[in-house]
Amino acid sequence: MTLKLLTLPCLALMMLLVSCNGNSEEQKNHESLEEGDSMTVVTDSASSVTEDNDVTYNLPSALQIAYVFKKSGAGFVPSLLNNKSNASKYNTGNYKRATNFGIYSADLAYCLFNKKYQESKEYLKACKDIGSYLGLNQAFESDNMAQRFDKNIANEDSVVKIVSNVQLKTDVMFEQNKQKHITVVAFAGAWTESIYIAIEIYNKDKNKKVLASLLEQLLLSETIIKALKSHKNAEPEIPALIASIEKINAEFTSIASVKLAMEKDEEMDFNAMSVADSELTAITESVKALRAGMIN
Amino acid sequence: MKKMIKPLFSIIMVFVLMAFQNGDVLCNAKELKEKASNALDPYKYDSAELTRILYKNKETVKEVEVPLFIGEKYRIVFELEALPKQVEVQIYNKNKDSKNRKLLFSSKDIGADKKEFQFEISKARQVYVDYIVPPSEEGSYSGCAVFMVGYK
Repeated sequence: MTLKLLTLPCLALMMLLVSCNGNSEEQKNHESLEEGDSMTVVTDSASSVTEDNDVTYNLPSALQIAYVFKKSGAGFVPSLLNNKSNASKYNTGNYKRATNFGIYSADLAYCLFNKKYQESKEYLKACKDIGSYLGLNQAFESDNMAQRFDKNIANEDSVVKIVSNVQLKTDVMFEQNKQKHITVVAFAGAWTESIYIAIEIYNKDKNKKVLASLLEQLLLSETIIKALKSHKNAEPEIPALIASIEKINAEFTSIASVKLAMEKDEEMDFNAMSVADSELTAITESVKALRAGMIN
Repeated sequence: MKKMIKPLFSIIMVFVLMAFQNGDVLCNAKELKEKASNALDPYKYDSAELTRILYKNKETVKEVEVPLFIGEKYRIVFELEALPKQVEVQIYNKNKDSKNRKLLFSSKDIGADKKEFQFEISKARQVYVDYIVPPSEEGSYSGCAVFMVGYK
């Protein structure tokens, strides 16, 4: 009898523990933040956010987008960047934090490949500030990152390596903290900022290579949509974000030369494509609206 | 008191087994990605993907879509040491639903039991990494595969 009396509460307690472990994403994140260095090994089980899909998506980095964009010969227009002093106002929810973490990452990368190292340092600080709200303190504080950045500030290869290393660490921490969906939302923010910069520079200079790079970036919209759809229930704002990017994708694929290449199932050569300014008007407005919704 | 130990131990074991039955696995993302990053140099880190592999009673395919920028040079490093049973890695130019897709790489060609290897590519807008997961004869269990993309 005593055994039965003791077994039942034990069973109930264990069921409660198993149930808590499987469902509380917020709790897991909170625990991870408090664990510090001890969180390097986590039970990487199928999370409640990431479903066990047969197809997943590996998105590129803001750094690589900026690296490719710089090759187009685009100049540096500081007025296009999001004001770094806004960082503190984005600590309102995971969606706002993630999108603006992505936006500042894109701004940082844009500064970096334009050799604007002081600005890069300031945007790195903005990323660090928002990163701290997302539980990424360790990624920005390890290996004396700030000191190494200062020491190598005039050496592009070195600072790019330092920032790439921070990015690798943030990716690992997102994975460990079961925040895979945050990386996708952050990338959507970075992509929006990169497209915004590219489209504004093209509208100003009408440089064909900038246009080719812009179209190349727009081509990513389809993969971003698919990646966001695989996390559509993770944050309440994600369905609206998907709808906004789907609108941009529809405007992009209705550009006559893009549409023709898609119909023929041809590899698109954006350097040889002609695009009328009127075909970019709708995309420009949609991108501006999406970005404004993210940063305001 | 001694009478209680056996049933309690049994209950704990049931829960431990249930946890693993659900596909839980210890994957050290940090360690796996750090190992992969060591093989990336001189390419710059771009992104990495950790894929949970669940072995079932039939062969399955897990696919990862990897968008690339045409004209850029890439290295993709694979780290498969956290897999209890080797999977075949195949890389294609189109997704698994496409009829006329081209196989660009197969891990079978470099030695089926290799745990770490790399693949380099340029002039591609995307590749599709397929993990061909062999059937399990001993019940369901799982592991992790990591790949890392670098560019230069």
